[in-house]
Amino acid sequence: MEILVTLRKLEQLEKILPFTDGVICGRHFTTGYRFSMKELEQICRYCRALNKKFYIVMDNFISEDEKILMYDYLNAIENMNVDGIYFHDLGVMDAARSYGLTSKLIYDGKSVLCNSLDTAFMLEKGIDSVVLSRELTLSEIKEIARNNPGRVDLQIFGHLRLSYSRRRFLSNYFSQIGKDYDYFDKESLRLVEEQREYRMPIVEDGNGTFIYSDFIFAMFSQICELRPYLKRGIIDTLFIEDEKRIVQVCRDYRRISEYNKQFIEDSFYHNFPDNYSSGYLFRKTNISKDE
Amino acid sequence: MNKVELLAPAKDLEKAKIAIMYGTDAVYVGGKFYSLRSRASNFTNSDLQELSAFAKEHGAKVFVTVNIVFHDDDYYGIREYLRFLEKIRIDAVIISSLALIPIVRQEAPHVECHISTQLSSLNSSAVRTLKEFGADRVVLAREAGIRQIRQIAGKVSIPLEVFIHGGMCSNFSGRCVLSNRMTLRDANRGGCAHSCRWKYKLYDGDELVSDPHCLMSMSSKDLRASAYIEAMIRCGVASMKIEGRMKSEYYIGQVVKTYRNMIDEIYEKGSLSPSRLEYYDNELSKAENRPSDDGFLSGDCDNSKHLYGVNGAGVTHDYVAFVHAYDERRSLAIVEVKNVFKAGEELEAFGPDLDNVRFKAELMFDENWNSIVLANKPTQYLFLRVPFKAAYGDMIRKAVRI
Repeated sequence: MEILVTLRKLEQLEKILPFTDGVICGRHFTTGYRFSMKELEQICRYCRALNKKFYIVMDNFISEDEKILMYDYLNAIENMNVDGIYFHDLGVMDAARSYGLTSKLIYDGKSVLCNSLDTAFMLEKGIDSVVLSRELTLSEIKEIARNNPGRVDLQIFGHLRLSYSRRRFLSNYFSQIGKDYDYFDKESLRLVEEQREYRMPIVEDGNGTFIYSDFIFAMFSQICELRPYLKRGIIDTLFIEDEKRIVQVCRDYRRISEYNKQFIEDSFYHNFPDNYSSGYLFRKTNISKDE
Repeated sequence: MNKVELLAPAKDLEKAKIAIMYGTDAVYVGGKFYSLRSRASNFTNSDLQELSAFAKEHGAKVFVTVNIVFHDDDYYGIREYLRFLEKIRIDAVIISSLALIPIVRQEAPHVECHISTQLSSLNSSAVRTLKEFGADRVVLAREAGIRQIRQIAGKVSIPLEVFIHGGMCSNFSGRCVLSNRMTLRDANRGGCAHSCRWKYKLYDGDELVSDPHCLMSMSSKDLRASAYIEAMIRCGVASMKIEGRMKSEYYIGQVVKTYRNMIDEIYEKGSLSPSRLEYYDNELSKAENRPSDDGFLSGDCDNSKHLYGVNGAGVTHDYVAFVHAYDERRSLAIVEVKNVFKAGEELEAFGPDLDNVRFKAELMFDENWNSIVLANKPTQYLFLRVPFKAAYGDMIRKAVRI
């Protein structure tokens, strides 16, 4: 299993790359991991020099108006000879074919890819692999990964995306209350439901508004049994500024085994205290409204 | 050119029949399993069979939602269910699991696969991908504006379905799991708790930046695309979809009838005058219990398209009675009470073949022929004098004084 990290800042590359198998970032149709094309080329070259992998992410939807940009972007990506392209919009499959990029595509359906049959269906279309939904239990992940061995990626660390809207929730809200506030592309904003306490990161940029889990998903203890079936594990660094922690996460996921997993997990949580959670690995989210 | 299809929702057999009687071309419903509206009554297999026969008799189509985001365990029994849908001649299934396409082809070769808005198809390339996967129709994302709909329709050769009325997810459909986090109910398996409509405080670091008197909400106004119907017809959209599988028969009847008449008038006259559009808008308002707007159809959604503070507002009419039968000789209708009304009040009746006729509630009798002046027991059957010919399926309302 490759361990990949989403790259947020160019200056982090040098520090993080030695401890990971590659990085994920992009220019268009993504939120939080954006670089200029020139920077992307630089990152790509640096990865190549260190024999590391370089992946592009396009994890937002693409409107009809943005299609030309999508084609131009894929053309530029083709020239960069990237190792893979994480995509969310099914239109990318149609466009990528024109550039011979189908076999480099990795489908990240976010919350809609939750079963073995859909996984197999997408893989049959000639793409490289898929990223499973974050709302799955551990046993569901195992089942899907076993049914599609070596073709499945998984987010193994970081805040989980809870919602994605084309609406500009923050700008609309500040307009509504008549407040002039610097909110755009800002990562320090937190949303708190009036009856609850937890604080969910919320970001608005040119792609829309995104809300993430209050907790940081982590699965140190579970990765050992999944590792043989997974193609890649993704460490999402969104809202995590601390480089030392990112490096430690990468190192720990690489060296963790059945024998040291308790020690590694305990040490990590002790050294980098935060709101960690196993997410839905042991909690089904299928309670009906009548329950 | 084929006439555009009007597609209406129904939460149970009675409402599906109402939708068909009021002029929908097709109705979409959920079975007991695999459907996203877990709180809708939903259809037993025998209901589906009866609906299919009723629809065929009336020249309408039936689509069944099989649109949950499936987990492995959820597929249990799906092949048998699809075979059943084929047997009872269901016209299409609305799906979000792409793996169902080949399964539907095997088990139900005469049933079409319509791709749910859960897949948020927003560009012609995505639609082409889905066509290549074997889809028969694609429901576009509600985030597409009329300009984009026109562009997409001009570039693809597969029927497109577009939402024209009703509630809207404020996030991309299928890409919101706020409900999972906050209530452990899976929004993509019928458990959505509508967390987007709740109120939220907003912090920047530790500083509260929201207004305590007007908390943040993601609640969107409902969609009303009346002003875009003509443009959509010209675009070549195949189907216009009304949202609302949780809605009452009154909502279904009023909204279906209004769009039916609007579509027919556009085909008949070539276009709709501003005064006719105003008339139809006024008709749609009679069924509204939340403010509405044109969503993304006109472009961006600014703060005027959101609801802060109140969710429900603007009810202009109360639905007071449903007509079960009419005795022409005595001019008496047998009605089922839905809301309070009293003798002397002005009422308005409408129905599949009845256009807004006003009358005064005068003579009313209970089941034992006792004269009454107040109808205040919902579900009670009454005899009500109606001075014109009414029929089963007609509905009676009264204006609400605001």
